[in-house]
Amino acid sequence: MGMRRRALAVFTVLTLTLLGVFAAPAIAGGGKQVRYVGIHPIPKPEGGGICYIEGPHVHIYDADKIQYRDHRGANYFVGDPVAYGYDGKRYAYKGHHPIHVNVVVGDNDPDDEYCYISGPHYHYFAPPEGPEFKVVGDAYFYVGEPPRAYIDARPAMMKINAVYQPLVYERPVVTVDAPVGWIGARAEFVGPGAGVVVDAPRAGVIVAPPAAGVTVEAHVPAPSIHVDVGIGVPGVIVHERAPAVIVRERPVIIEERVKVKHDNGWHRGRH
Amino acid sequence: MRRIILVLSLVACGKGGGDKAAGGARDAVIDAWKAEKLTVSALTPATVAFGKDCQGGTVEGIDVLLCNFATPAEAKAAAEQGYTWVGSATGTSEVHGAALVVLADRRKVDPSGRTINRLMKLAPK
Repeated sequence: MGMRRRALAVFTVLTLTLLGVFAAPAIAGGGKQVRYVGIHPIPKPEGGGICYIEGPHVHIYDADKIQYRDHRGANYFVGDPVAYGYDGKRYAYKGHHPIHVNVVVGDNDPDDEYCYISGPHYHYFAPPEGPEFKVVGDAYFYVGEPPRAYIDARPAMMKINAVYQPLVYERPVVTVDAPVGWIGARAEFVGPGAGVVVDAPRAGVIVAPPAAGVTVEAHVPAPSIHVDVGIGVPGVIVHERAPAVIVRERPVIIEERVKVKHDNGWHRGRH
Repeated sequence: MRRIILVLSLVACGKGGGDKAAGGARDAVIDAWKAEKLTVSALTPATVAFGKDCQGGTVEGIDVLLCNFATPAEAKAAAEQGYTWVGSATGTSEVHGAALVVLADRRKVDPSGRTINRLMKLAPK
């Protein structure tokens, strides 16, 4: 009996210790302050939701390296806040684009960072007016010239898509033709290991990754793109109409099953 | 005699104006909060290393420290040290004119940060 009680006590202590270790919130070492600037999600162990402080501020929890960029020593969130419950004013974007952080947070330290979310998504800010963005169908498309820094960081930062893919939330619905020059349809910015591959003209391509929570349907009659986004139905479907460019989404991080349907030459006419 | 009265009046006016200017930055912040019907507690003198003219209290349950400086540049120089007063809480330290406004949510009454954000937006620049 005594042995059993002792064993039970040891088991209880061990269990509580383990719970204490794994259930602990993401507190920065020793309650250390962590700098933030701008709106950002709050980690679930800290209560979840959104922190709406727009200016510089501190918390006692860390930020991850995929959804945040350093802005003069502070963590700046480059993800989609709507995915975490943000209920304020929002702006729809499609594909990758720069974020002029100093403009968003209102300081004088020029800092261009990049959002690598491939599909339609939201931010709580609109880009500054200028030629690098075009607004089509209430969505912002980046049509500027991305610098080397964008391309170099791309393989690592594309991981953000793996973060958002399983999140179920109201993504923007973009049903418009993408403007000419949109980065999402430009082959020169697609390198090895990147998330999008542009092939030579071919027809009848269906790409259907086992994505959760969102459906993206992109019809690509060259040179335009038609994108439908819904909630709750998995899969990405890219239909091509000859003579069109096939945009085959192939995220590096997200595992996809690619089904390619050939039309056996129908698009060239039957001989 | 008239000359003495005139000089004293000018000194008094000058001093009064100076006090107003010194208290003005902090008062402007408090007035902006009160104008929005926010609950501002009585502010009492606070001793901190980075400011000589500081007062502390609460606004909407959030701890606040308001320090007056002679110039906005001096306030800016102290802004970084304001975070030492925040301690292990969510908080912020911003310069508004010649005042340093430091907020700390020690009682966790503002988990979304909306109140802190509002307070900072209301405070005149």
